[in-house]
Amino acid sequence: MARKRIAAPESLAARISLPLRILGAIVGGYGVTSLAVACLARILPMRAAEASVAATLASFAIYAGIIVAIFSARSVLRIWLWLMAAALLLGAALYWSILTGGRL
Amino acid sequence: MKNGFRQSMAALHTWTGLLFGWLLFAMFVTGTAAYFQEEISRWMRPEVVATAAPAPATQAAIAWLQKTQPDADSWFITPPSARNPATEVFWQPRTVEGEQHARRRRNDTSATLDGIGRVVTTRETRGGFFLYRFHFDLHYMPVLWARYLVGAAAMFMLVAILSGIITHKKIFADFFMLRFGKGQRSWLDVHNVTAVFALPFYLMITYTGLVTLATLYMPWGIAANYASPETFFAEVFPNGGETQRTGTAAAMVPIGPLMAVATREWAGAAVGSVQIANPNDVSATITLRRAADTAIGARGESMVFAGATGRMIRGGAPEGGAMATQSVMIGLHAGRYAGWGLRWLYFLSGIGGTIMVGSGLVLWTVKRRAKLPDPTRPHFGFRLVERLNIAAIAGLPAGIAAYFLANRLLPTGMTARAEWEIHSLFLTWAAVLLWAIARPYRRAWIESLALAAGLFASVPVVNALTVSRNMLTGMMTGDWLFVAFDIAMLLFALGFGWAARKASTVNAKPARGMRTMQNMAAA
Repeated sequence: MARKRIAAPESLAARISLPLRILGAIVGGYGVTSLAVACLARILPMRAAEASVAATLASFAIYAGIIVAIFSARSVLRIWLWLMAAALLLGAALYWSILTGGRL
Repeated sequence: MKNGFRQSMAALHTWTGLLFGWLLFAMFVTGTAAYFQEEISRWMRPEVVATAAPAPATQAAIAWLQKTQPDADSWFITPPSARNPATEVFWQPRTVEGEQHARRRRNDTSATLDGIGRVVTTRETRGGFFLYRFHFDLHYMPVLWARYLVGAAAMFMLVAILSGIITHKKIFADFFMLRFGKGQRSWLDVHNVTAVFALPFYLMITYTGLVTLATLYMPWGIAANYASPETFFAEVFPNGGETQRTGTAAAMVPIGPLMAVATREWAGAAVGSVQIANPNDVSATITLRRAADTAIGARGESMVFAGATGRMIRGGAPEGGAMATQSVMIGLHAGRYAGWGLRWLYFLSGIGGTIMVGSGLVLWTVKRRAKLPDPTRPHFGFRLVERLNIAAIAGLPAGIAAYFLANRLLPTGMTARAEWEIHSLFLTWAAVLLWAIARPYRRAWIESLALAAGLFASVPVVNALTVSRNMLTGMMTGDWLFVAFDIAMLLFALGFGWAARKASTVNAKPARGMRTMQNMAAA
């Protein structure tokens, strides 16, 4: 109900803005969190098992932070750009880390 | 979402709260009850009265297993403790190559023994353990789905807490504001007061709850470093690996001295469990784990001895900072370390959380009723929320009371008795839902709450009529569990009765009515 008031001008952009935001928060947020956790697990300066657990423990705080940030951001477009940039960056870092070996 | 940060957080709080509110309410109710799961189990098995010293009782249990299950792959013994006077044993029967993995009933692989190794015949029940498992496994659905659902609810809860904190400008002032009889304002006050009352607890319990199943929800931290989760667990818990039975028989050393060694090593802490792998074989190992009530960390230290010689194979491995943190987080959530005072605080905080979620759900309807185009004929979504609120808030507690009643009333020899106790809970819950749909809104609240009150009030009565232990005998013999349980039931009955009365006496618009939850703080 509160929703309707906010999206008063029922343009297409306004109508898909909220679903895109929710999708970004739940799916995009989880994806970026996963990549961040995987990266942390590889770069934290401790034993592999310890780093894995430490990164996992932090994961829910990261996820919650991303969700809150997404719902407070102004533009949906910018949210998705940020999500994709973060995913690319973290993904590349993870890929590079696995390529250069070490653990696993 | 263009109306500024606080408004978008308020919307986020409202809708995440509503979507998972009912499930969270059920999780809060059963999780709160689970802090007394041992006590509930004891009440639900009134036949068990054994008390014994742990070491002789464990030796007696081993003798019993020796006699009845000499060929098992492993034995698992929980010695008697302050919270459970009986000795619980279960065993892993020998796996035979090629044999179908038959579905076993619980009683086929477990038993309850007294201090001298005799089986205590008890009514078949899952006791408080069921409420504990429902908290994260739910029921009538695959466990894995349930855990994902519960995890999603917990994640929504975390977001709802964060956005709730951001939404409230005057979070401290709100704590001292409780205005009765003011309709929507009162509901908001109750929601705020219960939320702020134990805010650190809710944050802690939500986060640590997620951590208990973190490797299920967020497996990528392990996946980044290990080819498979099994490799990770094998590295972290090395004693998980099974040793092959050699086939050469060997007698085992007495358990008492080993328990004494462990207790000395752990600065006086008791042994919480004894696991014997490959009993009566030269390869037999005896693993002793520290009792959960002596440290916050959930992963108790363990010591492993060779069964045939009594030589210590492995002491407690020191764990790193992250593992220790995880262990403490899980321990904080489960609260097994808590003594009586702290345990009651856990319980009260849990009730506070239950009221917080319940009042939030009611607030959603109260807030919107005034704004409805035609308040006498609300739209479908609104009615759905109203009815589900009744079913969730009055239905589940009524169901739990019915679960206790079924424990006393179902015939002891009945087949699938434990299952029918559980069915009683859900049948009652479903009945309240149907009732809530069928009746006019306000009548539905009054009658459902009255039903819950009546069921709780009848628990002590039915108990006194069916079992020889109750509040009066308890006071005379010092059987305080039965005293406390009856008092708790009566307090819940009073609480729900008060709520039903409140719902019926509030006049004017139904919107201003039901302050169902405040009273439960008293209960």
